[in-house]
Amino acid sequence: MTVHTGPQRTRLLRHVATPLAVTVVLVALFAWVGTLRLDSIESRTLNAGYLLDRTREHLVLTVTSSALVALLAIPTAIAAYRVRSRVVKAVVIALGNIGQATPAVGVVILLAIVWRTGFTTALVSLVAYCFLPVLRNTLTGLEQVDAATREAALGMGMTPRQVLWRVELPLASPVILAGLRTALVFSVGVATIATFINAGGLGDMIINGLKLQRFSVLLVGAVLVAAIAVLIDWAAGLVEDWTRPRGL
Amino acid sequence: MTGLHLVRLDDFLARRWEDVVDLTLQHLAAVAVSLALATAIGVLIGLLVWDRPVPRAVSLTAAGIAITIPSLALLALLSPVLGLGWAPTIVALVFYSLLPIVRNTVVGLREVPSHLVESAQGMGMTPARVLLSVQLPLAWPVIVTGIRVAAQLTIGIAAIAAYVAGPGLGVYIFRGLSSLGSVNALNFALTGTLCVVLLALLVDGLFVLIARHSTPRGLRV
Repeated sequence: MTVHTGPQRTRLLRHVATPLAVTVVLVALFAWVGTLRLDSIESRTLNAGYLLDRTREHLVLTVTSSALVALLAIPTAIAAYRVRSRVVKAVVIALGNIGQATPAVGVVILLAIVWRTGFTTALVSLVAYCFLPVLRNTLTGLEQVDAATREAALGMGMTPRQVLWRVELPLASPVILAGLRTALVFSVGVATIATFINAGGLGDMIINGLKLQRFSVLLVGAVLVAAIAVLIDWAAGLVEDWTRPRGL
Repeated sequence: MTGLHLVRLDDFLARRWEDVVDLTLQHLAAVAVSLALATAIGVLIGLLVWDRPVPRAVSLTAAGIAITIPSLALLALLSPVLGLGWAPTIVALVFYSLLPIVRNTVVGLREVPSHLVESAQGMGMTPARVLLSVQLPLAWPVIVTGIRVAAQLTIGIAAIAAYVAGPGLGVYIFRGLSSLGSVNALNFALTGTLCVVLLALLVDGLFVLIARHSTPRGLRV
């Protein structure tokens, strides 16, 4: 049992401490903003309407792209897994490595140059960017399922489809979810960069704050983005813990 | 259309290859300096916390939360304090490298079998000697893997640092964006992005070699 106290303690600390810390930081931030006398540029951005609009844009971009990635990458990985070809697996892993080496800002800007600027481009580049890591994680998760467990399920008379749904996917789910969680957190970061190609989001505030030398605007934008990233990671961590099969 | 662009990319590279090499070296230098600093700090933190449950949980949790913060937000927050250019870039890259390095140092040290540490102590080694001759060498392969992960992470993040006037290939990527619509926009962005990819793959290969040659002989597979 002593082996497990470390991760459990860390997990408990994260589950409780994360939302508390984020709340404290946000309350302190807005209390500070409340004491400022805002000039015309600042009051145009530091109001509830503007902040909510940018936050909504940011969340829509993040959540939509992650949902699309899950819908596209997981079935593709299952298909690649069921082909059971070494070549397919090697290609997926090699592509995954190259994808990991590619800078997100390069993908976003290249797509804006060859296609157009705006929200759709940001969405497409996010999906393209997160597709390979999720694909690779799903495939790895499925490959990791113990061959003996799989054979036992087949021996019990399950059809291959039943083995997939009742044995392989549940056992692979922690690895698959970990991949999706990484994709979600990554999307929050890349959605910040989306401001460079006029796709909105909280990155607008960071860039405007920098360009117009308004530290308060920059600070509110940056802290809100960081809070969203931390909270999304926290929520995904909760889901991961709840859905982990009991035997694991 | 594609053929036309490729020919132009040839031309483009022929005219600017010195510039490209220069930016690539800057990129590599920023990453190397950050990794060296992060390794020193990260391994030290790992050594201080690995066998104390509460500090270990606190530092790993803090590093885990810190790494989720979007890089553009961190760079923007650093710029009023540190100005533009190398300083915010290096600080941000060190910041993101700490999680993989601290985590792997902790994991590596915890995986050292306790009977080996005890027999080293039984031979009369001082704690410092046990650490330097037994624990760190045995944990080293895991620590190198952490540095390798940090390298991949920072090579990508360094590209964004060009926005706060940081060094490296991001300069070309952003120049592509700012010259949107002109003939060379695609060449700039494509050159910047592809060089980052190549650099990341080369550095990853380099780490495979480093890991192989710095691993104690008895541990090599």
